[in-house]
Amino acid sequence: MEDSTESEVSRRGFLARSAAVSAAVTVAGGAVPAGATTPVAAPPGAGPVEVTLRVNGGTHRLRVDPRATLLDTLRERLELTGTKKGCDRGQCGACTVHVDGRRVLSCLTLAASVPNRPVTTIEGLADGDRPHPMQQAFVDCDALQCGFCTPGQVMSAVAVVREGHTGSDEEIREFMSGNLCRCAAYPTIVAAVKQGGGR
Amino acid sequence: MTNSPIGSTLNRVDGPDKVTGAARYAGDESPTGLVHGHLVLATIGNGTIRSMDTGAARDHTGVLEIYTPDNPLPLHGVPPGVAFYFSETRRPLSDHEVRYHGQIVGLVIAETPEQARDAAALITVDYERRPANASFRDNVDDAVVPEPTPLPMGLPITILADGVPSIDAALAASPVTVTATYTHPARHHNALEPHAAVATWDGDRLTIHSTTQAPAAHAIELAQAFAVPADHVHVVNPHVGGGFGGKAFTWGPTYLAAAAARRLGRPVKVVPTREQLHTTTGHRSAAHQTVTLGSSADGTLNAIRHLSVTQAIGEDPGTRLTMKAYATENLHVSLRVTTGLNVPTTTILRAPGEETGSFAIECAMDELAIELGLDPIELRTRNHLTHTLSPDPATRLPYSNKHLIECYRLGARRFGWDTRNPAPRSTLATGGWLVGTGMAGAVLNASRAFTAVRVSFRPDGTAAVATSTADLGTGMRTVLAIMGTDSLGIPVDRIRPLIGDSRLPVGPDAVYGAQGSAATATVAPVVRDAAADAVEELINHAVTEPRSPLHGRDGVRYTAGDLTDGATTIGFGDLLTTTGGTDVGATTTSGPVTPPSYAFASHAAHFCEVRVHRLTGEIRVSRMTTVVDAGTIVNEKTARNQIVGGVVWGIGPALFESAHVEPDTGRIANANFADYLVPVNADVPDVDVVFLDHPDTNFSPLGARGLGELGTVGSAAAVANAVHHATGIRVRDLPITPEKLLTTPTGQA
Repeated sequence: MEDSTESEVSRRGFLARSAAVSAAVTVAGGAVPAGATTPVAAPPGAGPVEVTLRVNGGTHRLRVDPRATLLDTLRERLELTGTKKGCDRGQCGACTVHVDGRRVLSCLTLAASVPNRPVTTIEGLADGDRPHPMQQAFVDCDALQCGFCTPGQVMSAVAVVREGHTGSDEEIREFMSGNLCRCAAYPTIVAAVKQGGGR
Repeated sequence: MTNSPIGSTLNRVDGPDKVTGAARYAGDESPTGLVHGHLVLATIGNGTIRSMDTGAARDHTGVLEIYTPDNPLPLHGVPPGVAFYFSETRRPLSDHEVRYHGQIVGLVIAETPEQARDAAALITVDYERRPANASFRDNVDDAVVPEPTPLPMGLPITILADGVPSIDAALAASPVTVTATYTHPARHHNALEPHAAVATWDGDRLTIHSTTQAPAAHAIELAQAFAVPADHVHVVNPHVGGGFGGKAFTWGPTYLAAAAARRLGRPVKVVPTREQLHTTTGHRSAAHQTVTLGSSADGTLNAIRHLSVTQAIGEDPGTRLTMKAYATENLHVSLRVTTGLNVPTTTILRAPGEETGSFAIECAMDELAIELGLDPIELRTRNHLTHTLSPDPATRLPYSNKHLIECYRLGARRFGWDTRNPAPRSTLATGGWLVGTGMAGAVLNASRAFTAVRVSFRPDGTAAVATSTADLGTGMRTVLAIMGTDSLGIPVDRIRPLIGDSRLPVGPDAVYGAQGSAATATVAPVVRDAAADAVEELINHAVTEPRSPLHGRDGVRYTAGDLTDGATTIGFGDLLTTTGGTDVGATTTSGPVTPPSYAFASHAAHFCEVRVHRLTGEIRVSRMTTVVDAGTIVNEKTARNQIVGGVVWGIGPALFESAHVEPDTGRIANANFADYLVPVNADVPDVDVVFLDHPDTNFSPLGARGLGELGTVGSAAAVANAVHHATGIRVRDLPITPEKLLTTPTGQA
């Protein structure tokens, strides 16, 4: 598990940054419809930026498009495709990873905004060949169907335990509600969080 | 000998891959030389493209090509087979007409996803606009009888008892009648995985990693569009991130990905955004249903009239549901469809027809029970359907192994139905929560198709079980592993299920893959037949292959992975290693007995408890029990998950799901997960699921009928009936949102 004391951020700070990133992504992201009268030009000086990403214990020095999200960078540059893109707007949770030991939505996080900060993805959760207890719990409880939301669910589940939000089934449901499962394996996800969290 | 795992609770065999990120979905592929496509969509609902300014986009860094109606990509013909009726027949970019808001009008190809996306935002379109006609509700009165098709839907059906002149006369002669109109908005599949496609051409051969429920049909549809033989298209889809009908057929973004890849000579990836998926792939039609039930005073149904209006024949509630629901002497179902709506294309969505129809019929039965002062279970039991309804009595078939009444009774006991006070608005819990309970029945046609399965023994001691279907989360891989173990007597971890590839065996009737709740029912019995044939081939190999230690022996038999003649015993892995290291197996095609002597359907009963806050109208589903009669359960663990998911797919439409189509523009105003509400974890209680597990051996020797959609049928009605019981307010227009409950209940001060 990575050191979570480094670069600790407040929740308020994180939310503010996420909102700013969200706005940037929306403007740059084609939300301005074709036919709009004022097309958005690329911002000045928007050339590639250098960033060092620390992912699953490895270090990657990359030149990235400043618009590149952590999600796209993980998937398209680092070939870590376990993290999924379900909405690209922070509404589904499929892209959940840990930064500084906290769960974040990698689709709302610019790669350039997390230099040198420890990032853990679903590929980095197991201890070698030994699955993380939460991963095993998801298998044992059948807390999945299609599996597409599962990496994000597992990353959130690990964080929910760490956050101390497993006091009751209701609390688990509430704190897992940022992760949509369209197959609706919700009851078994709750069971898995309990098993994986040792409850 | 390994015991058969049929009916056990085996962990999903692809679970470890799915919890570690190792499972690969179409969009995870990035072949060398890959470029990225981003779609440009129309921002008007009806009109003609006069011109498009792509200059700024062309100048954008990394942009390779921009396809528009002025620079289209060749796509031939129309979708073949049933895809013609359930997908978009017009090829994308094939003309300058805009028929709906969000129609594809361009595709930008660039070196990176960011470049393609930003360049797409620089394109401007000059339209000649026309008024959009996008309100389903405004078009209901003008709906028309659909053109006949080869499909068994869309046609009116009338059954009348001897001497009864018309359904209206039958209803008029009924001592008690209830009539009501039930409405559904348009809804979207919203599988978590977008429709991703990564296409690579080698000459006139296409390899496409594409998310599809039906790899073989997908290959046929793509081959048609590119005018190449079907075996020149190789579809690869090892994992599919949810389908629900939305990935049964091929949609515009996928066609364009493949077309652009062919034109550019480079691999192309296209993954529509969540918003784009709402219009560039199919959705579920809105529905408007008027049901009239006529009964005797004791609750015996005399007549059912079910008049439906939807956007297309794929959503035909009367044919799909009402014909299989309740016994009656007189029945009329009909469908009319809207025409000329400026909205995106409809397609099938989990339990098409059955889900919408069950809401109307099961709510109407609740209303009739209240009118009669009869318990809703008693009313259903009195009208239990034992034979198919048909205008020709000679063609009526008995339902095979139907245990719906047992579902009602067992569910009632587990749920505690018998202690219910039937009076609406009779229970107020602390905190101002009105508590209510409701129930509904469910029926889903059970079908089984001819398909092909290959079972092969391998030198490494494993056995492959291969067929061209898909696992959308349904547990198909696990079903194949279980059936392989059952048939071959070797442990599950020595079975290698192979699916998700158009080149694997498939029968002529099964090309449509994982849909219609028929995949397990179709594939599982054939595994046994293929395994028997493969064992025969293996024995033949053992006695005829010169290097085999059993060469020339008599009486060689296969038991639990070993071959023996009594004197010499060898495992098949060792045998095949000794004889040269090749696989030995058989491909077998089999299917249902025809003509059938029975009708087949799976059934269920749902029981729901809701809490509705008397001041805010907030609705919480607090308990559900569902009892399932689907024959043999192959793997209880994955089957239970399917049923729970299905039930939640009833809670969603009941309480949340609705496309907000702006009537003047056809724009879907809520085309994202923050505004198109789907159930989240906090919306779903523990769901108590019970399987009766009565094998239906008339259906197949295995006895397993389908259940993937069954949970969805009737569950929204159970919720709505519970809301009525809690509040005294009957909401017939879904979803039941809180403001619809901030009114005075009928008959109350």
